[in-house]
Amino acid sequence: MSGFSLLEFLQQIINGLTLGSIYALIAIGYTMVYGIIGMINFAHGEIYMIGAYVGLLVITALGLFGVDSISMILLATLAISILVTASYGWTVERLAYRPLRGSPRLVPLISAIGVSIFLQNYVQLGQGARDVSMQPVLTGGWRFGPEGDFQVYLSYMQVLIAVVTVAFMTGLTLFIGRSRMGRACRACSEDRAMANLLGIDTDRVIAVTFVLGAALAAVAGVLVSMYYGLVNPFIGFMAGLKAFTAAVLGGIGSIPGAMLGGVVLGLAESFASAYLQTEYKDVVAFGLLIGVLLVRPTGLLGRPDVEKV
Amino acid sequence: MNTINRNVLSAAVGAVILSLGGPAQAQDTLKIAIAGPTTGPVAQYGDMQMMGAKMAVEQINAKGGVNGKKLEAVIMDDACEPKQAVAVANQIVNQKIKYVVGHLCSGSTQPASKLYEDEGILMITPAATNPAITQQGYKMVFRTIGTDDQQGPTAGKYIAGTIKPKKLAILHDKQQYGEGIAKEVRKTVEAGGIKPVLFEGVNKGQTDFSALITKMKKEGVEFIYYGGYHPELGLLLRQSKEQGFDAKYMGPEGVGNKDISAIAGPASEGLLVTLPADFSADPANADLVAAFKAKNQDPTGPFVMPAYAGVQIIADAIKGAKTEDAVKLADYIRKNSFDTPIGKVAFKENGDLKEFEFVIFTWHADATKTPVK
Repeated sequence: MSGFSLLEFLQQIINGLTLGSIYALIAIGYTMVYGIIGMINFAHGEIYMIGAYVGLLVITALGLFGVDSISMILLATLAISILVTASYGWTVERLAYRPLRGSPRLVPLISAIGVSIFLQNYVQLGQGARDVSMQPVLTGGWRFGPEGDFQVYLSYMQVLIAVVTVAFMTGLTLFIGRSRMGRACRACSEDRAMANLLGIDTDRVIAVTFVLGAALAAVAGVLVSMYYGLVNPFIGFMAGLKAFTAAVLGGIGSIPGAMLGGVVLGLAESFASAYLQTEYKDVVAFGLLIGVLLVRPTGLLGRPDVEKV
Repeated sequence: MNTINRNVLSAAVGAVILSLGGPAQAQDTLKIAIAGPTTGPVAQYGDMQMMGAKMAVEQINAKGGVNGKKLEAVIMDDACEPKQAVAVANQIVNQKIKYVVGHLCSGSTQPASKLYEDEGILMITPAATNPAITQQGYKMVFRTIGTDDQQGPTAGKYIAGTIKPKKLAILHDKQQYGEGIAKEVRKTVEAGGIKPVLFEGVNKGQTDFSALITKMKKEGVEFIYYGGYHPELGLLLRQSKEQGFDAKYMGPEGVGNKDISAIAGPASEGLLVTLPADFSADPANADLVAAFKAKNQDPTGPFVMPAYAGVQIIADAIKGAKTEDAVKLADYIRKNSFDTPIGKVAFKENGDLKEFEFVIFTWHADATKTPVK
């Protein structure tokens, strides 16, 4: 290994932030559902996978119709993927959670795992078990640094990921903080029984939570299919696990926590890859989780009064 | 659930069970299990294997079968998963199938081979190249492909002798096949006086390689050998090009299929791949190639002809040894040689081919390949 280079460090931060943005988008789905019903939605990784598939299919279809403006592709793909994926999110809640409301905690957990397996196989049957790939729609970027030496490279796609992520995060924060429905969400998260007594339709709030989580997972899915250009029916598992880790790391139930957790996890993986060995990146990621939980059992930004599983 | 429903249900279950245990078909066919991935990320290779094996079964049957019996191919999907491979092997044992052409991935072939050895089932793999598979002292295990201790040195010698990169990185996917071949390459290049600056594993299914690429770029790596399969290498190539990292890549036969070009696009141009010689270019196979073309199939895949050869060797051995007993057939195969589309083959005591050649190809963005030299 040659010595430390500031430019390389900068490049690794860019790499880590890109990866972290995607983790954060998926992590929000976990954390919102947990914040409101106190349960982990184990089908969320598959919801993300569906978002990625829809994204890839729509982009390919638009390509066939000769649409080549990036903003058109991005907007149309995001819109369609969010619509389709959110309806899956709503259906998961309707079928796997609502009928089991009030039953012991483990029951909906198992039904969610069932849905996860179902969705994985369903996409596998519908789309084939193979990798589906696509050529990049947005290429190019900026280079910084001395000519001929190591140059920091910031691709347009990375910037796009950051911008889209920040835009949706801001939107979500405003929605939760300012809107009527957002206030109902917060009330449910504080005390669902009490919120119900005060006339809030908690079933509707829960459905909205699933839909919002799925919509953000769809955004992550679309970005991933544009950035990496490769999806298969099994990508949901690992991505779900990583995002779940990000959510717990940041403090499950806390939305800013999920954002922070995602970014921290992305950076940790990137640095582990850069300064240790690539094979240790998952060890570092999950090791970090254990370390943080030992010191702060509620995660980085979690509220200390959470006593759920 | 009320009682009536329950009765209906148990009747239905009973009916299903009965239909499963229906009268067995008369034993007038010789069943050969073709075990490999028909689903999962490397199913493309499974296609090659199934295509070759089915063609062999068809052509042998068209010539009257084996000793008056028809061959029957039974396709088994192991998805290239070691766990599923064991389940598939158990199914084969339970169905009393005596011959297997498979499995495809080294990681799934190894655990399955133990069952075949214990149960006296003849196994010929057309694709698994990890040397350990034939080093277990098994009597029932053969392969119609070379091994990584032939393939690795072919690549290693080329790197050390022709390319001579100042800075070489060796990556692998931590799987039995990928890591095994990466180690062989490292051994050969080190013997040739080149010490890799990097020897690292990536995760199977990993999609983001940006951190690793940045590191290699900063180290000034000029040449990378990747041991593994095409999905990860495809993304590596694509993301390298994206980051402006223009080192040359090389990989084993596990990366050499159309999908690498589908994933990496223009970034796959110039990739070096070690593959079995292109048997479909052999004039002796012209009729066979025409038969594949007539069915709109592509015979140039690296495992098509080895799979064909696997089925043919089993059929020829049954004819030659005049027995269907798998243990006796294994003995016969070890002692004789066979004329197959991959040439005249004979086996070593451990089940490896006596001779097998790997050739270096340059891969192109349109998924074609040309031999180097």
